[in-house]
Amino acid sequence: MAAGPILIVGAGLAGTRCAETLRAEGYEGHIVVIGDEVLAPYERPALSKEYLAGTKADHELLIRAPSFWRDREIELRLGDAVARVDRSRRRATTAAGEEFAWNVLVLATGARARRLPFPTPPGVHTLRTVVDARALREALVPGAHLVVVGGGFVGAEVASTAVSLGVRVTMLEALAAPFERTLGSTLGRLLANRYRSYGVDLRVRTGAEGFRSGADGSVSAVQLTDGNEIRCDVALVGIGIEPARELVPSPVEGVPVFTCGDVNGGVGHWTSAAAEAAAVARRILGLPPHPAQPSFFWSDQFGLRLQLVGRAVATAAVDLEGGTDDFIARYHDSDGRLVAALGANRPADVAHLRRELAVAA
Amino acid sequence: MYRIEIDRSLCSGFGVCAELAPDVLEVGKDGIASVRTGSTPDPVVLEAANACPMAAITVFEEEAA
Repeated sequence: MAAGPILIVGAGLAGTRCAETLRAEGYEGHIVVIGDEVLAPYERPALSKEYLAGTKADHELLIRAPSFWRDREIELRLGDAVARVDRSRRRATTAAGEEFAWNVLVLATGARARRLPFPTPPGVHTLRTVVDARALREALVPGAHLVVVGGGFVGAEVASTAVSLGVRVTMLEALAAPFERTLGSTLGRLLANRYRSYGVDLRVRTGAEGFRSGADGSVSAVQLTDGNEIRCDVALVGIGIEPARELVPSPVEGVPVFTCGDVNGGVGHWTSAAAEAAAVARRILGLPPHPAQPSFFWSDQFGLRLQLVGRAVATAAVDLEGGTDDFIARYHDSDGRLVAALGANRPADVAHLRRELAVAA
Repeated sequence: MYRIEIDRSLCSGFGVCAELAPDVLEVGKDGIASVRTGSTPDPVVLEAANACPMAAITVFEEEAA
C-alpha cells in the first residue's frame, strides 16, 4: 500500500471520487484534495439545468456534504490552484505560494470550455463552472434573445432552460442536425423538430464567424458563416471542452503520478470520469480493477430525459420504438449487434437496456 | 453490518446497483434508485456502491448492535 501523503489536484467529480475511494478501500494516510474553485466539489450537470433555472441553490449542488470530508479526514483546500509540480522533490506549489509534499500525485485537473478562435465581447458566455452559470443566469431575463453557438449537450440544455425562462433562443449547429455525430442523423432530425416545436430558431450547417458589440461594448449581434447576422443580447458558446493538461508531465520512472477524469481528454460528459478516478485509487493501493461498466450518459432537454447506454455510432442502423414524447432507440452495428441504446422518457427501461447491451457484447 | 445511503438527487437511473444487490436496492418507476432495506450484512453492497457511475451510494460499515 502506498505510504505518505497523496495529493489530488482538482476538486471536481474525479478528484472527489478518487479521494473517497482511497478512504473506502482502507488507505489511512493523509489525503489532500486541492481545487482552484471556491465552491466545494459540486455536480456540474445541474449547471445547465436546475441551477441555471434558479431551482437549485449552491448547497444543493454539492457532491458531498461538508461533514463527509471531515468524517473521512480528507483535507479539502479550495480557491487556490497548483501552479507548479516538482517531481524530483515531490512537492507542489500553489499560485498563492503554499507548498504541499506528496508521495503520490493524482492530477484530476479536468477541462475547460473551448473558446472560439476570435475575440468575443462581454455578453458571450461559456459554461463550465458555477461562476459561469451565475453570470449566464443573470443574463437570461424574460424577453432577452440568446444565441447558442453549438448544438451539443451543454448548448441544448441551456437552450431548453432559456426557453423555459421566457428567453428567445437561436441555436447554431455546424452539422445537418444537432447530435448528428454522437446520436446519428435519425435522432438528430427528431431532436431538431423538437427544438423547433419549442420555438427555437435552429439554424443548421451554420456557425459563428464573429460578434458585433453595441455602444456599451457588450454583444449586440452574431455574424454567421452563411453571411447573415442575428441581433442578440447574450450568447453562449458550447463547442466542447479542452483538457487542462498544463501540469501533466511526461512520465518519470519511479515517480507515481496518475491522471483521471476529463484531463485525459475523454468525452467529458459521460460518467467515465468517476469510474476512472475510482480505478486510479485502486491502482494506487495495489488493488485489482473493478469490472468496467458500459458508458452511460443522460441529458434533460425540451421535456425529454435522454439516457444513453453504450456508445452510439453515427453509422449504425437505428430502430425507433415509441412516440415522439417517449421512445427507445437501439443502435446496431453492420453485423446487427446492439452497440448502444437510448431511452427518452423511459427511465424504468434503462436497466433493461443495459442488460440487453451486456448480453449483446 | 453495512448501512446504505443513496443520494437520490445524484442518481441518474443507471440501475446497476439494483442488479447487483436486488435485496437492498431497487429502481422505482421514476427510474431513480432507493434503499429497500437500510442495512445488510452482505458485502455485495460495496460492489453496488462502487459500480454506481454517479457515486450516489454511500456504504457505512457499522458494528453489529
